[in-house]
Amino acid sequence: MTSVRVRNLWKRFGQQVAVAGIDLDLPAGKFIGLVGPNGAGKTTTLSMVTGLLRPDEGTVEVVGHDVWRDPVEVKARIGVLPEGLRLFERLSGRELLGYSGRLRGLPGAEVDKRATQLLDVLDLAGAQHKLVVDYSTGMRKKIGLAAALLHNPEVLFLDEPFEGVDPVSAQTIRGVLERYTASGATVVFSSHVMELVESLCDWVAVMAAGRIRAHGPLEEVRGSAPSLQEAFLQLVGAQGRDAGSDLDWLGGGAVR
Amino acid sequence: MSAQTAAPGLAPTVVRLKLSLLRNGLRQSGGRRAAYVASAVCALLFAALQLIGLIALRGHAHAESLVVLLVAVLGLGWAVMPLFFPSGDETLDPTRLVMLPLRPRPLVWALLAASLVGIGPLFTVVMLIGSVIAVAHGGAAFAVGVVGGVLALLVCVALARAVAAANIRLLSSRKGRDLAVLSGLVIAVGAQVVNFGAQRLGSSGLGQLDPVADVLRWLPPASAIGAVDSVSEGSYGVAAVQLLISAGALVLLVRMWSRSLTRLMISPDGSTLQAAEPAARDRRGAAGLTRLLPGGRSGTVMERSLRYVWRDPKTKAAWVTSLAIGLIVPVFNALQGTGSIYFACFAAGMLGIQMYNQFGQDTSAFWMVALTISSPRDAYVELRARALALLVITLPYATLVTVLTTALLGDWAKLPEALGLSLALLGAMLTTGAWTSARFPYSIPQEGYKNVAPGQTGLAWISIFGGMVSAALLCAPVIALTIWLHVSEGGEAWTWLLLPGGAAYGAGITLLGLRLAAPRTAARLPEILAAVSKG
Repeated sequence: MTSVRVRNLWKRFGQQVAVAGIDLDLPAGKFIGLVGPNGAGKTTTLSMVTGLLRPDEGTVEVVGHDVWRDPVEVKARIGVLPEGLRLFERLSGRELLGYSGRLRGLPGAEVDKRATQLLDVLDLAGAQHKLVVDYSTGMRKKIGLAAALLHNPEVLFLDEPFEGVDPVSAQTIRGVLERYTASGATVVFSSHVMELVESLCDWVAVMAAGRIRAHGPLEEVRGSAPSLQEAFLQLVGAQGRDAGSDLDWLGGGAVR
Repeated sequence: MSAQTAAPGLAPTVVRLKLSLLRNGLRQSGGRRAAYVASAVCALLFAALQLIGLIALRGHAHAESLVVLLVAVLGLGWAVMPLFFPSGDETLDPTRLVMLPLRPRPLVWALLAASLVGIGPLFTVVMLIGSVIAVAHGGAAFAVGVVGGVLALLVCVALARAVAAANIRLLSSRKGRDLAVLSGLVIAVGAQVVNFGAQRLGSSGLGQLDPVADVLRWLPPASAIGAVDSVSEGSYGVAAVQLLISAGALVLLVRMWSRSLTRLMISPDGSTLQAAEPAARDRRGAAGLTRLLPGGRSGTVMERSLRYVWRDPKTKAAWVTSLAIGLIVPVFNALQGTGSIYFACFAAGMLGIQMYNQFGQDTSAFWMVALTISSPRDAYVELRARALALLVITLPYATLVTVLTTALLGDWAKLPEALGLSLALLGAMLTTGAWTSARFPYSIPQEGYKNVAPGQTGLAWISIFGGMVSAALLCAPVIALTIWLHVSEGGEAWTWLLLPGGAAYGAGITLLGLRLAAPRTAARLPEILAAVSKG
C-alpha cells in the first residue's frame, strides 16, 4: 500500500532548480528516511508534499487524495514539523498545543487530555507554562512534534527533527516515533545524518541535487556497501575525495 | 605572547574588522546601502546645520548654557542608544570575541578605537567642534577646546561601551530584544518632550537654561566643554578641575567596562546556561477569558489574537501606537478648541489599521494556520475570528473616544452621527484589511524596529494606503447621507438615524469583505506563507 505518491515534481527558484522531477512511492506503515546533503532539495520536497509550497509542476497524493485538489481530506490526515518556520512562540507550550488541537476541530477536553499526555511523554511537563520563545532548540522540536501528533495523523512529515537536539531529547523523540509507527502509521523524515537514518528507518530515499538517486528498503539501498554512509557517498559520487593531501602542515607537534 | 607586544597590532585590526563589517553589511542589499547613505547624509546635514547654528551662537550671552546642555544630551544619547539598538554594532558585543586569545586591557583600547568609526562618532565630532567654536575665546581656550573635545568624545564612546557591556546579558536575552522593539515609542515620546522644551525656549529665551547648565557644567562629558568656557572667562583653576572630572570619568568608565568585559569573557554565555528561572507563573488568568469566548475555531483564534496583542512586542507596539494616536488626535484637537467631533472617527480608523496584514503578524508561524485551512469556509471563520478579536478592543475604545470628544466639545446632538460614522469607517477598515491581508501580505521582521522586510516596502504601501483610500470610498454612502441630512430642510431632526444606519452599514460591509477575502485566502495559502516568511 502506498501512503504518498509523488509524480514528476518540479520546483525552480529563479535560475536555480531546487527539485528536478521527482517520482516516488512511499509505502504505508514504514519509518521512511529522506536523506541527502545540504541543499539537495529535501525541505523543498517536503514543503510541496505537505501543501506548504506550490510546485511548478507535478502531482502529490497522500493516502489516495490529491494534496492540491482535495485539501480537506489531506490536511486532516497529516502531521507536519517543518524546518526553518516559526511556531506561535508567544504562547506557552500548553497553550500552543491547545491552540493547534482546537484549530483542527478536536473537542477541547480531548485536546487538553492529549496535550497533558504528550507533554509528559516528551518531558516538557515542567516547561509547559513557559513561553515557547524561551524554549531551547530541542524543546522546540519536541513541542512541534507534539503539535504534529496531537490529532493522530496517518502520515507524519518531519523535516530534520533531530537537528540541534541533544541526545536525551533525541532518544525521547525516537521512542515516541517508534511507538507511533508500530501501530501502522507512516513517518517520513529528512536528515543528513546517515547513522541516524540507518538505525531508525526501514525504507530510505536518497536525494541529491534535486533528484532521487535511489530508493527502497534500507538493505536494498545499502547493497554491498558496509554502511549507508558509504553507499550514500558512492551514490552522490563524493567517494575517494581526499581532503587531506593539501593540508600537509596540519597536525600536532609544530608550533605554527 | 605578552599583552604588551599584542597591543600595537590589535587596535588597527579591530578597526579594520569594524570597517569590513560595515562594508559587508552594505554590500548585502542595495536597499540597505541606500538607507545607510541616506541616513548618513541626513545626519551630516543635520550636524552641518547645527554647526552653523553653533557658530552663529558665538558671543551670545547664554551660549555656554546651551552648549553644555547640548553636550550633556549627546552624552545621554550615547548612554541610551546601545540599549535600544544593540544589533547596530556587532563589535559592540564582546561575547563574539570570547574565543580569541586576547587580554582585556589591549582589547578595551582596541574596541574603543573601533567605536570611533561610524556616523555617530562623526556626528558627535561635528557637534563638539561647533560647541568649542561657540564658547572658545582666545588661543588658550581653543587649545583647551581641542583637549576637551577629544576628551568629551572619548567619554561619550566609553559611556556607550560601558553601558552596553554591563547590560549585555539583558541585551542578548529575549526581554532585551523585546525592549528594543518598543524603542520607537520612546523616541516618539522623546521627540514630543524635545518639541515641548524647544517651544518653551522659543517663547522665553535661552536664559531659562542657566540653572540647569550650572549643574551640568560639572558633569562629564559636558564638563570638558565647560572647561573651554571657563578658560575663555579666565578661570583657569575651574577649567582644570572640569577637565580633570571628565578625564577621571573616562578612566573610571574604561575601568568599569574592562571589568565587565573580563567577567563576560570568563563566564559562560547566558544562552547556554540552563534557564534556572522559577517556573513561570501559572497562566490561569487566561482560563476566564476562554470561557467568555465562543467555542470552536472562532474562540481559539480570538484567544490567540488577544494574547498576541499583549505578549508579542511588535503587535503590542502597533496597538499601543494606534490606541495612543487614536485618542490624542481627537482629544487634543478638542482641547485646543480647533476640534471637530468628526475627528473622533480617527480612533476607529487608527484601530482598524490593525486588521491589515493579519497573516504578516503571524510571521512564518502562519504555516500552523495554513495547515488547518482546507476550504474557504475555514478561511472565513479564521478571518471573522480575527476581526472579532479586534472588535473586542476597538468597539468600546472607539465609542469611548467619541463620547469623550463629544463631552469636551459639548456637542451632544452630534454624538449619534459621529458614532455612526465611526462604526461605518471601522467596518470599511475591517473589510479592506481582510482583503489586503489575503491579497498583499508582507513580512514583519521580529528583530529590530523595522515593520517591513527589505524588498516588501512597496507591497506594504499598496496594502495600507490603497486600503485606506478604498476604506474612505467605501464610507462614501454614509458620509453622503450625513451631508444630505445636514443640508436638506428638516434633515437635522433625522441625523440620529445615522447611528443605526452606520452600524448596520459597517457590519454589512465587514461581512461582505470577509466573504470576498476568504476564498482568496484559501486559494493562496502557499503564496501567503512565502510572503510572510521573509526576515
